[in-house]
Amino acid sequence: MNTAKSDNLARIIIGCKGGVPECFSQLVDIYASRCYGYFYRLTGDNDVSDDLLSELFVKLVGKIGSYKGGSFESWLFKVASNVFHDYLRDKQRRKKLLEAEKRRLESKTTEIKQPDSEMVDKLQMQLGKLDADTRELIMLRFYSQASFKEIAKMRSEPIGTTLSKLHRGLKRLRELME
Amino acid sequence: MNVRNEENLKGLFEKFFNSEQAERAAEDIRKGERILSEHPAPEPDGELIADMKVEIAEAVIRRKADAFRRTAYKAVAVAAAFIILAVISVKLFEKSGGEPERIVTASIMPRAIWESEDIATDDADLAILTAEIEQIEGEALALRLDENGGNGNSAVTELEIELAEINNDFWKG
Repeated sequence: MNTAKSDNLARIIIGCKGGVPECFSQLVDIYASRCYGYFYRLTGDNDVSDDLLSELFVKLVGKIGSYKGGSFESWLFKVASNVFHDYLRDKQRRKKLLEAEKRRLESKTTEIKQPDSEMVDKLQMQLGKLDADTRELIMLRFYSQASFKEIAKMRSEPIGTTLSKLHRGLKRLRELME
Repeated sequence: MNVRNEENLKGLFEKFFNSEQAERAAEDIRKGERILSEHPAPEPDGELIADMKVEIAEAVIRRKADAFRRTAYKAVAVAAAFIILAVISVKLFEKSGGEPERIVTASIMPRAIWESEDIATDDADLAILTAEIEQIEGEALALRLDENGGNGNSAVTELEIELAEINNDFWKG
């Protein structure tokens, strides 16, 4: 990121911390596309991605005060990752509730909505074949544009582990796509 | 996604592999990321972005209102504490009669003795006082030992009257 961009971002963040709605709108304009891509590639669902994106940016209003400098992208995607994991936990909870209800009623199985395969692009289908952790790591690296060092820090793991997981994951994805 | 952090991938991999393996691993990463660039994810809907901005503006207003409310509650709490403190202070002040308590001190010796320059008379007065005190001590001892025929009550009354008289005389000088 060049100096002018960096200065502009710093100015926007100060505005956000001061509670200026226009500055939050500018953050949305800069990062909405990348964050949406991140959520979409992890969930494969437009509606869920819409919800997660809204949740992320509304959450930023309350969380922006905790950003204390450093790479803003790393911080933003760490929050995005937390939003995604909250969604996964909630989904898991709802799934358990649904299963309990299913057992109780002993009625027909309620199908959990799966993404329409015709609507999902080839990459999305192949990504689904990777394990969840590798998929998330690949998306984090691609959409946050953070360095390996930053990603390793975000994931609280040694940089060697991050490098090796991402290398294996991308190699496997390339094989699947060929 | 064409903006990438300037990062020496090969250099990073060389910490774990030999030069050739590191070059290959870095190339694998670049090719993999190229696939992701060639298959862009859908963009968020314009309407969604507009709705989000409205939602964010509302959240900002809510947050400001909450912050104001919290500050107001704190100010009210501090003011209430001051008022309570003031009320308690006033009550305590009124209870003590509105004036601070005065400490009254008195000398055990009559002022006349201190102020007098007649040493001989003063010595005589002191001798009388000492004698009277010794007499009272003797009577008190006798009472304690029940030497006056067991009429303790009247003896005590007499002793008290005597003490009162001595006290009067003493303070008059």
